[in-house]
Amino acid sequence: MHPDPAVLNDYVEDALGASGRADVEGHLESCADCRGAVNELREIRDVAKALDPRDPPARSWTRLQRAIALEHGARAVQVAGSRSADASGSGSRRQLWIGVAAAAALVIATAAGLRYAGFTSGPSSSQRATTTGGANANTDAAAQAVEAELKQAEAHYEKAIQGLETIANSEKGALDPQTAATMQKNLAVIDQAISESRAALRVQPASAPAQQSLLESFKAKLALLEDTVALINEMRKGNDAGAARIVSGLKGKG
Amino acid sequence: MAGSPEDGEDLLQEVFLQAFRKLGTFKGDASLGTWLYRLALNHCLDYVRSRQARMKKLTDTLDAETSFEPAARRTTPIAKLDLDRAIERLPDGCREAFVLHDVEGFDHREVGELLGIAEGTSKSQVFKARLKLRAMLGER
Repeated sequence: MHPDPAVLNDYVEDALGASGRADVEGHLESCADCRGAVNELREIRDVAKALDPRDPPARSWTRLQRAIALEHGARAVQVAGSRSADASGSGSRRQLWIGVAAAAALVIATAAGLRYAGFTSGPSSSQRATTTGGANANTDAAAQAVEAELKQAEAHYEKAIQGLETIANSEKGALDPQTAATMQKNLAVIDQAISESRAALRVQPASAPAQQSLLESFKAKLALLEDTVALINEMRKGNDAGAARIVSGLKGKG
Repeated sequence: MAGSPEDGEDLLQEVFLQAFRKLGTFKGDASLGTWLYRLALNHCLDYVRSRQARMKKLTDTLDAETSFEPAARRTTPIAKLDLDRAIERLPDGCREAFVLHDVEGFDHREVGELLGIAEGTSKSQVFKARLKLRAMLGER
């Protein structure tokens, strides 16, 4: 009669007492099946112990770098914002707005970054399955049509972004250098996402995730520029209430 | 542990972001690697527990599979890649116990503490995982 499989497992784990161990060894001498089972359990255990760690794909580190850059910026501005608020009693109204403006730029950028990260973190398993199945079913014609639409959308975004960039660059004197630098930094993060998406599309032009990533990055950049320009306008007009509304709206978005 | 490479990537990002946020609390009592490993493990286990709560412990489906019968005798050694793939196909509960015990090297008491289960349950989950793996690897 064969020992219970759980007893053989305990034998493999050296968890049996002396007599139990002797019983199993006695049985193994005459039973090739149980001997084979014990050897296989040992092999599974040994190979599992020797499994190599898996390196994450390179894109993981790029994503992480982007997320940390955004978070690092947001944290720096929280400190700047609280310092500015403390200084309001001394009549340093501009200082207060520097903090607010910087916070606004970062809130936008963070919200944009989160939208991007939300996308790049990947669709759910079911979405992934659908995407894979759909991609397999795509005909060349359909893929070309999608690419053409993407190019059209890309051109639309680029035009809008170019216009806003011109305004933001010519008017950025309304922002203090620190805020302007922060904005530039956040734009650079989004630009990097755009470059990566484009690089991915060069390799796989029909890749739905890469296409979506590119469009999301454009949207993020557009939203950041739109809100920054709106904030600059309000600050130049000296419209505290208008600027506060923008900041408040941005917080709501974040 | 995560159940899929994609979920693993998401966890990686969350872990490092959390490390970035908590770096100021690192006292230097242990090495940075140990601190980070602990942080990662806790984060992964939180993820595992919340998923288990959602999926109502799929491990129960293995309860009847405690026989050596289905496995065909293999004639070649187990390749790491095959085992890696087979581990991915294990049900959540026994995969977690198996990975922590057989791959990561925790003992059953530690696995029990980490997963919030009894030591004996860890033992039986690892046993079930090995049986299941043996059957899967025998299918080749």
